[in-house]
Amino acid sequence: MGHSHNNKKKIWSRREFLMRSGGGIAGVALASMLERDGVFAAEGLLNADQCGVQVPSAFSPKLPDFAPRATNVISLFMSGGPSQVDTFDYKPSLTKYAGQPLEDLIGTKFAVRQGMPGPLMPSPFEFKQHGDSGMWVSELFPHIAKHVDEMAFIKSLYGRSNDHIQATYEMQTGQIRMGFPSVGCWVTYGLGSESSNLPAFVVMNDYRGGPLGGPNDWGSGFMPASYQGTLFRSSGDPIVDLETPQNMTQDQQRARLNALARLNQMDMEKYPGNSELAARISSYELAYRMQGCAPEAIDISAESEATKKLYGLDEAITQPFGTQCLMARRLVERGVRFVQLFMGGVGVQNTDTWDAHSNLVENHTLHAKESDLPIAGLLTDLKERGLLDSTLIVWHGEFGRMPISQRGVGRDHNPGTQTAWMAGAGIQGGQAIGASDEWGYKAEQQPVSAHDMHATMLHLLGLDHEKLTYRYSGRDYRLSDIEGKPIPQIIA
Amino acid sequence: MRALLVSLKPKRAFLTAFLSLVCAPSLIAQSESPNVFTHEIRPIMERTCWNCHSEQVKSSGLDLSSREAALAGGIRGPAIVPGNAEESRLYRQLAGLEGPSMPLGVPLDESEIEAVKNWINSGAEWDEGGTSVVSSDQFSAFATDVPDSARQYWAFQLPKQQALPTGSNYDHPIDKFLEAKRRESGVIPAPSADKLTLLRRAHLDLTGLPPSPEETEAFLADTSAAAWEHLIDRLLASPHYGERWGRHWLDVARYADSDGYEQDVDRSNAWRYRDYVVDAFNEDKPYDQFITEQIAGDELDVTTHDTRIATGFLRAGPRVNFREKDNPERRWDYLDDVIATVGRGVLGMTVHCARCHDHKFDPILQKDYYSMTAAIFGYVETEYPMLPEEQAREYLLKTSELDERVSAVREQIRAIEQPYVDDLKVARIERDFPVDVFEAVLTADKDRTDGQKLLAAQVLTIGVPRSQVDSTMSELDKTRRAVLRSQIEGIESNRPEEPPMLEIVTDGDYRYTPDRAGDNVLGCPECRIKPEQPGSFLHDGPGRYEVPPAPFLIRGDPFSPGPEMTPAFLTVATYGEPLTEIPRPNGRTSGRRLALAQWLTSAENPLTSRVWVNRVWHHHFGRGIVATLDNFGRVGDQPTHQELLDWMAVEFVDQGWSTKDLHKLMMTSEAYKMASAYGNDANVQNDLENHLLWRYRPQRLEAEAVRDVIMATSGGIDLAVGGEPIFPYIPQEILDTAQAYGRWDNQLDGPEVWRRSLYVYRRRTLSFPFFETFDLPDQNITTASRNTSTVAPQALTLLNNPFVLGQAELFAKEIQERAPYDVDRQIELAYQSGLTRLPTVAEREVGRQLVESGSLTDLTHVIFNLSEFLYKR
Repeated sequence: MGHSHNNKKKIWSRREFLMRSGGGIAGVALASMLERDGVFAAEGLLNADQCGVQVPSAFSPKLPDFAPRATNVISLFMSGGPSQVDTFDYKPSLTKYAGQPLEDLIGTKFAVRQGMPGPLMPSPFEFKQHGDSGMWVSELFPHIAKHVDEMAFIKSLYGRSNDHIQATYEMQTGQIRMGFPSVGCWVTYGLGSESSNLPAFVVMNDYRGGPLGGPNDWGSGFMPASYQGTLFRSSGDPIVDLETPQNMTQDQQRARLNALARLNQMDMEKYPGNSELAARISSYELAYRMQGCAPEAIDISAESEATKKLYGLDEAITQPFGTQCLMARRLVERGVRFVQLFMGGVGVQNTDTWDAHSNLVENHTLHAKESDLPIAGLLTDLKERGLLDSTLIVWHGEFGRMPISQRGVGRDHNPGTQTAWMAGAGIQGGQAIGASDEWGYKAEQQPVSAHDMHATMLHLLGLDHEKLTYRYSGRDYRLSDIEGKPIPQIIA
Repeated sequence: MRALLVSLKPKRAFLTAFLSLVCAPSLIAQSESPNVFTHEIRPIMERTCWNCHSEQVKSSGLDLSSREAALAGGIRGPAIVPGNAEESRLYRQLAGLEGPSMPLGVPLDESEIEAVKNWINSGAEWDEGGTSVVSSDQFSAFATDVPDSARQYWAFQLPKQQALPTGSNYDHPIDKFLEAKRRESGVIPAPSADKLTLLRRAHLDLTGLPPSPEETEAFLADTSAAAWEHLIDRLLASPHYGERWGRHWLDVARYADSDGYEQDVDRSNAWRYRDYVVDAFNEDKPYDQFITEQIAGDELDVTTHDTRIATGFLRAGPRVNFREKDNPERRWDYLDDVIATVGRGVLGMTVHCARCHDHKFDPILQKDYYSMTAAIFGYVETEYPMLPEEQAREYLLKTSELDERVSAVREQIRAIEQPYVDDLKVARIERDFPVDVFEAVLTADKDRTDGQKLLAAQVLTIGVPRSQVDSTMSELDKTRRAVLRSQIEGIESNRPEEPPMLEIVTDGDYRYTPDRAGDNVLGCPECRIKPEQPGSFLHDGPGRYEVPPAPFLIRGDPFSPGPEMTPAFLTVATYGEPLTEIPRPNGRTSGRRLALAQWLTSAENPLTSRVWVNRVWHHHFGRGIVATLDNFGRVGDQPTHQELLDWMAVEFVDQGWSTKDLHKLMMTSEAYKMASAYGNDANVQNDLENHLLWRYRPQRLEAEAVRDVIMATSGGIDLAVGGEPIFPYIPQEILDTAQAYGRWDNQLDGPEVWRRSLYVYRRRTLSFPFFETFDLPDQNITTASRNTSTVAPQALTLLNNPFVLGQAELFAKEIQERAPYDVDRQIELAYQSGLTRLPTVAEREVGRQLVESGSLTDLTHVIFNLSEFLYKR
């Protein structure tokens, strides 16, 4: 592109420009457009047909450190903490030792999050082996179970906090304290955007509300705010302030934008070498394109009936999360780098999230039913469209649950271990990595930390987790901190 | 991978064995065979090399934990050539013969460098144990002093009164210093900006509000030589000055109106601290006093509500606000929050990096960290009635006495209700829980299996609805209970009305912290850890208050306490022997925080004045002389004009720590008055980033200022100063994304919420969307300088946000009233109010087209979107 930024005098360092223009939403192609009068002409870009067209840009995407296995991520966060011993971590010993105190078996005292510990409680759900690999899955996930040969199970993911919020921060940012950038930010920071019409990092919440921990779960912490996830709503306008207000016509908006561009252009000439002003002008162009493209990206009306059925949109119980999974696929197709879905949202915590303190059977049956078919549909759909190899799917919660009962009906929090799984990205499926102890209480073989999980994700995206650093307050921070290591079986 | 795992195991064992010896260095020395490596080299390596060059952490590929690894070397080649120190990189870099000098941070002493040289020359032998990589964390308790060389670093030297550079054409000292540096590089300064640009710059800078057309006229009319000074004086006297500069300090103080975390409890009186800060700036409270009040406002000889409110600084960070007593690590996190804030905010040092080990880059010892935590270890958060001192004490005594009486009667009520509650519990368990649970409850305690005991204990903590208790209770018991209840009413009728309660910090004993808001959320009093012996949360005589034991924490682990610490400060920045405890006449607090405050604000503290002067400079000039405002250490940016910084720091202290004088000093320089619209290719070649200040640096307004300037321009702004926070409208769908807890009293858009952005409620778990879009910093940690991004969501907000559009309409309406039917005049007025200048011919043309084909609102809305509108330039 003859008028790309490269031909202009380099005023900022690349890093500074990316910071200021926001890496994530960087797509900038201003020069040629500015030379025309009326950038925002009626025949301009506010046309969904053109959303697939990538506007060339000198700034994004950025190059990975080595050949990536995947270019996009869909992260499925199960808010509230699903129970490993009732889903993917089959523990016959719970039946054998049912009703006995765990303390006697492991020989140490321990604390639980809510009140006092109960005795061991067998899973009320039936487990079976599935696929060629013979992975154990409980009856909660009949549809996901069909994909086990494509899934790598991490049976020893542990955390450091038994508090929802702090545990969620740890899984999302690596740190249990507030104020650190989330995985999606790091990925956006490392790889930039593939789309010049959409944000690079999109978040969608459960229909019942946001996850425990709120916007800090996808926040940018000490990084510039532009790296944070952009929250898309699954109904109405996807982004706040995206749509032109009702009392303003498109012609009126175009007139304002054209006048604005001319005045800003005149102003810029008074400030030689100030590329921030150029970036501001182009940010209006991207805003204009997003107005057309963001609604198109999540408009599922054009999808076939068969596709909708695949995601369970025809059933009330699967419709909400199915819609989000389908939107996630559409976003990935359109170049969104990182899609973060939250399953479970804060309304009534014990029932609206996986936080099954008081009724394990009812709670997990509901949430599994809501998500099983949609997630299986997503895996099938991505595979059929040839996107599964380039998309990493990650599934986990903030922690697992205790193998002991809470008042005979529920399970308390357990940061000691949970089962996470990854699929896509060319990962060897049908394998179980690490293991919890006999009771599913603590990670025993190959314990995997959030730092390890994050290092693995970065590696699959072609980023060297040791080199991806951000300098803040005199220290080069890493998502994987100082001890994270990619999981060898997954990156093999 | 396998090799690593195998080799790690024996080390772990060594580590564990070692922990118990941490504070007994002599034992270690005796247990090793006498050897040069063990006695001389190993301590150096442990302290300065192995943090970064070990088997686990190989900076530059180099592992110095074993002879083999050191000989193999890193990406630069072998580190050691045995027998030849001069050829050994290790020695060369330690001795500064080759860059980069090692270790980062504090250079070794001459004698240590000599020891390394001799050791290499004699063959660089490792003795037994040398391959055991023990992180220096384990040894930190030993390091009690820093080498003298560490004190040579510029920021730890006391600033000296610098002689003004000579031979300059400038009169102003600041310009003399700047000119000297510019000359060295041959860059040419920009000419002065025009009067209107300067007027707008000064207004935005000092008050965060644009000049009104009347103010503009008055300034233009003042043709005296002192017009500029008059303007500065007038702005410094404005109450809006304190709002603007108070906001900068609130960034440092990580201020918010809620606790954060899961419950995000409302801090209903936090705003009083915010107002305290605003007032402090408006009064030009000397900075040393300002800091002292915030660190130790409860310990002063004369305490007032203001000084007590000031301690809100210490507790302004995020807090979980429950289960504190059962989670000792939380208290350490709070202390760390305070240390980090004082360190980065006041001292410009990342002291908190030394929580688990000696600082990796700066000469800050882990010992320093725990000496400083000892200095604040009395720290407890409490509430204090906003009443005259005697009345306040009376109020506290009275309420605690009433509380005791009420709880005694409550206990009697509970005794009456308990049998009914128990019956109802059993009924509920039978109905709502599985059979095995019910069986466990029915089985007599002695016959229960271990598992049944657990189940029974768990399930018996369930609650039953109050209405059921009432409906099953006998009439007699109801009557008895009613009598008791009326007793409570009688007691309560004596309860004094609750005055506003100040959210303060004082000394106390954290082990007796009363239940917090969130303790009831858990609702399991049986699960709480009880104190080992009776004691009180706040000390109220007899005798003097004693600080609870403040331990050193091994590796920063709250469950691995080391020796008890006495208070002290940063070793490397301590001159003389400052007091570490200043006994208070009333004996209620320790006086340790007062001593800390005195050290911080002493003329013998090399950091505090420099750091503040630098922050003020940053806000005026867009970049600090030290660009990393919160980090004056080795890995922070080095000063561009150290002599100037030191000169100003000395002036500042000599002139009585007056921030207003500092503003005037900086703003009366020619450097401040330079144009920003100035190009010079040669300058760009020499100094791309404008470090030498050859033109004024344009700065995008902060989030709050963008909103304020919009409202001030439209004329809609309500400029009332101080008071309770406001809650401007947030669409429900955004509120839905936040967590369930936390306060937001959504108010519809309108004049009641058109107050300055400073007053918008700061909720930790939900940023106000407009602010977030314009780079509101994280509110949970002290902010250095704000980021400035230029992204599409900012454009969307300014284009489509209903508040912005409403303000554009208001702006248009106001102009219309002043100049009906006269489009040219309307355009002029829009430019004068919006941009403090008249439009150019070309701009008039664009404006006219816009207004004539649409409306005046089209133009006023466009003005809010102009780059020029969003910048101080």
